[in-house]
Amino acid sequence: MLAYDVVVVGAGGAGMMAALSASEDESLKVACISKIFPTRSHTGAAQGGINAAMGYRDSTDSPEKHFKDTVKGSDFLADQDAVEFFTTKMPEVISELDYYGVPFSRDGNGNIAQRPFGGASSPRTCYSADKTGHVILHSIYEQCLKKEVDFFDEWFLLSLVVEDSSFTGLVVMNIKTGEIVPIKAKSVVIATGGFGRIYWNRTTNALNMTGDGTAACFNIGIPLKDPEFVQFHPTGLASTGVLLSEACRGEGGYLLNKDGERFMARYAPEKMELGPRDLVSRSIETEIKEGRGFGEGMDSYVLMDLRHLGKKKIMERLPQVRELAMEFEGVDMLEEPVPIRPSCHYMMGGIHVINPETLSTQIEGIHAAGECACVSLHGANRLGGNSVADVVLFGKYAGIGARETAHRRSYGSETKLNQEAQVWNKKFETIRNKKTGKNIVDIRNKMAQTMWDNVGIFRKEEEMATALKEINQLIKDYKDTYIGDPAVRYNMAFVNYVEIGNLLDLAKGVVMAALNRKESRGSHSRGDYQTRDDANFLAHTLVHKRENDDYELEYIQVKITKYQPEERKY
Amino acid sequence: MEKFIFRIHRYDGTTKWVQEYQFPYEENKTVLWALTKIKDEIDPTLNFTSACRHAICGSCGVRINGTSYLGCKTPLDEIIETFDSKMLTFEPLKNYDVIRDLVIDWKPKMKKLKLVKPWLIPTEEGSVEKGFKQTEQEFSKIASPTDCILCGVCTSECGQLNVNDGVYLDPFILNKAYRFALDSRDGSSNEHIQPVLDNELWKCIHCMQCVTNCPKGIPLTDQIAYLRKTTMKMGAKDNQGARHAYAFYDDVKKVGRLNEMMLPIKTDGMVKTIGKRVPMAARMVYKGKINPLHMPKKVNGIEGIRKIYKYAQEVSK
Ligand SMILES: Cc1cc2nc3c(=O)[nH]c(=O)nc-3n(C[C@H](O)[C@H](O)[C@H](O)COP(=O)(O)OP(=O)(O)OC[C@H]3O[C@@H](n4cnc5c(N)ncnc54)[C@H](O)[C@@H]3O)c2cc1C
Ligand code: FES
Repeated sequence: MLAYDVVVVGAGGAGMMAALSASEDESLKVACISKIFPTRSHTGAAQGGINAAMGYRDSTDSPEKHFKDTVKGSDFLADQDAVEFFTTKMPEVISELDYYGVPFSRDGNGNIAQRPFGGASSPRTCYSADKTGHVILHSIYEQCLKKEVDFFDEWFLLSLVVEDSSFTGLVVMNIKTGEIVPIKAKSVVIATGGFGRIYWNRTTNALNMTGDGTAACFNIGIPLKDPEFVQFHPTGLASTGVLLSEACRGEGGYLLNKDGERFMARYAPEKMELGPRDLVSRSIETEIKEGRGFGEGMDSYVLMDLRHLGKKKIMERLPQVRELAMEFEGVDMLEEPVPIRPSCHYMMGGIHVINPETLSTQIEGIHAAGECACVSLHGANRLGGNSVADVVLFGKYAGIGARETAHRRSYGSETKLNQEAQVWNKKFETIRNKKTGKNIVDIRNKMAQTMWDNVGIFRKEEEMATALKEINQLIKDYKDTYIGDPAVRYNMAFVNYVEIGNLLDLAKGVVMAALNRKESRGSHSRGDYQTRDDANFLAHTLVHKRENDDYELEYIQVKITKYQPEERKY
Repeated sequence: MEKFIFRIHRYDGTTKWVQEYQFPYEENKTVLWALTKIKDEIDPTLNFTSACRHAICGSCGVRINGTSYLGCKTPLDEIIETFDSKMLTFEPLKNYDVIRDLVIDWKPKMKKLKLVKPWLIPTEEGSVEKGFKQTEQEFSKIASPTDCILCGVCTSECGQLNVNDGVYLDPFILNKAYRFALDSRDGSSNEHIQPVLDNELWKCIHCMQCVTNCPKGIPLTDQIAYLRKTTMKMGAKDNQGARHAYAFYDDVKKVGRLNEMMLPIKTDGMVKTIGKRVPMAARMVYKGKINPLHMPKKVNGIEGIRKIYKYAQEVSK
């Protein structure tokens, strides 16, 4: 049986940082597993930048200010011990990335350049033009090649195995061959990214952001923390959900409904299109719900019109945005308005991590970092530029944590690991050969539709109750699905089938947690409970999966060290 | 009704076949949209790779009617216009092992990539604790080569890789070597460049297909020229490629044109030329294609040419 001291699952920013820091200890055998080739990971999509109080651009900036901004941004739901640890360590990590060869843009003094970002009281976002995540991802990969990390590219985590309450390893599929194998491990770092795909095409996330690691943890009893907090970006391209930069609104673009009306006048008469993200997103969705959008159902949209800015301004200020709209929506903004609709962008919630310095979970041996995890750094709302920072920093410390855990533990029993691999082998065979049943693509689309319509940008009791019923039905339907590909080798239909199962499990957690949070906080905004309710809900949601797949909610205290909750005003 | 006809080259690990798919034409759609539609609605057994959908992850390279494209950023309408047809043939990228259908294997390429030490070898000026100083100009040198998304389009289009036995390095690997050789924070550019030289750097045939098709517009052949120049500066002048370049340089400087009779001798040496080229040359003489007795004279305007040389030398300082 394959055996590694530390197995990292995921090769995005978080996973590869973990693999790197774990392999600093040369006495350990470290493997890094990823369902896609490492540099395809979604960390590469981050454009804007990475936050750290370097103080290069503004010498009055400090980790303390970064701490305060993050807590306020989180609508006071972030754990302040975690935030302080994060903001204090971030500058060191940036220097480390520089030393790894990340090509950062520079200022006139030869220091790393920094730009202002939403919700930050100083310009502290370090960047590399508009490809920050991309260059960080590639540089960390290069360092991993140098360190000779053992990569298992296109290997897919199926489940984690716990025997007698003790973590023993994982079961994975080698997608290229279709083989399903157990791997023994002393510790594991889960770094599998977010699960924005519960909204399928209405997300800026890559096609494979399906929360596999989060679901695997959930299934063995590690709770899901704060899943109801989902960040939406107002301007996703209509047909694909790909992100259209905020700069369009910034430069003075108009949002129009199907009557050609600048509808923001109804919602933010003064600021108009420049209102905050969540408000603009809600306004667009209201227009669509009330029949003033274009198209139907999931294909509805409104328009972003920039033509009045004139060719000169568009070509000067937004050349890349124009190109993006042409390439991915087929629309030239010089000639026509661009169809847009809000798009799910980021999951604040995830695997319940109990120690921000080791990223450990309640099961000894299992660590988690990056978007799949909830430390909680972002609380109810993440600040731009804080996620790539989160993944590299907590990825690094998860690697160190897992390294130490591996030294403390020895390999466990193989019994359950072998059994679990058998179970998956059987399942693979059955599903491959099944000829009839419910169509998996239908199930996926129905999930996305109900999540979008009922648990999207703004939420109400009855709608969410409807969604819960539908998701429950889809979970039943899923048991009788078929995939239509009998092949063993590179069977993506099977991989997608497992992913959709994971999405359904997580979607249900999102709905239940959202239903039960009877307040509006950060990204969670309810029509029927419009204000924040600290007396009852200044707490993290934990969703547990119990016997018979029943879900149970619990609330735990937020760690508040320095900043008492106050009204969040900008 | 207008429709697309896609003829997709399929492979399941043992058998190869071409499968045809027909579906209604829609305007303003991308290549990736079409492949996804086929998988979702027509045939779940079709396999290809994709992730980000916006030209940053490099997953979705594919060949259409023999040319390589990044599927998510290529509008179908553009393809239809280029080939003047809605019947299109899809194949996996060339110069890769195929795993299934349009899915290729990157693993062997990473082994090759490692040859050029594709990581920063830091100078002593930097440290883990403090990082580095780097000027804006120094950064701008590495801005374009770090745009590479490892999509493999350059490899697929490379004329040399098409015929070479596998030693020649893929264009994206040369780009990586270039990127580190030029980074002011890297203290050992030779360590990136030497392996490039050792692996047939001079075999690039300047077909320019990599540059023409690179979805990120990276000037790969300029970089290859830079790498060649640098290896010559490093003293690697006594190899076939460098000698060939010097022969061009000397002839044109001396008389303003090439001496094609002497070129192979200067490049390959007398012995090799006699062995390898004389039989062909003899045939060419016989057919009247070349005149062995012709020694080129100085061209008119040789002064101008020398001025260009001088100017180029000054500029490159
Ligand atoms: C369009 C866009 C722009 C963004 N811009 C910014 C920005 O400017 N600044 C910022 O801070 N944040 C930004 N974000 C957010 C940020 O990019 C992500 O939250 C972050 O990169 C996530 O990194 P990660 O390492 O956790 O996961 P990812 O990079 O998503 O990596 C996940 C890894 O897990 C692997 N994996 C998943 N499931 C399995 C499985 N079952 N088996 C094996 N492997 C698996 C995948 O292969 C992948 O390697 C942006 C996000 C998007 C979508
Ligand atoms: S899907 Fe990422 S580059 Fe095309």
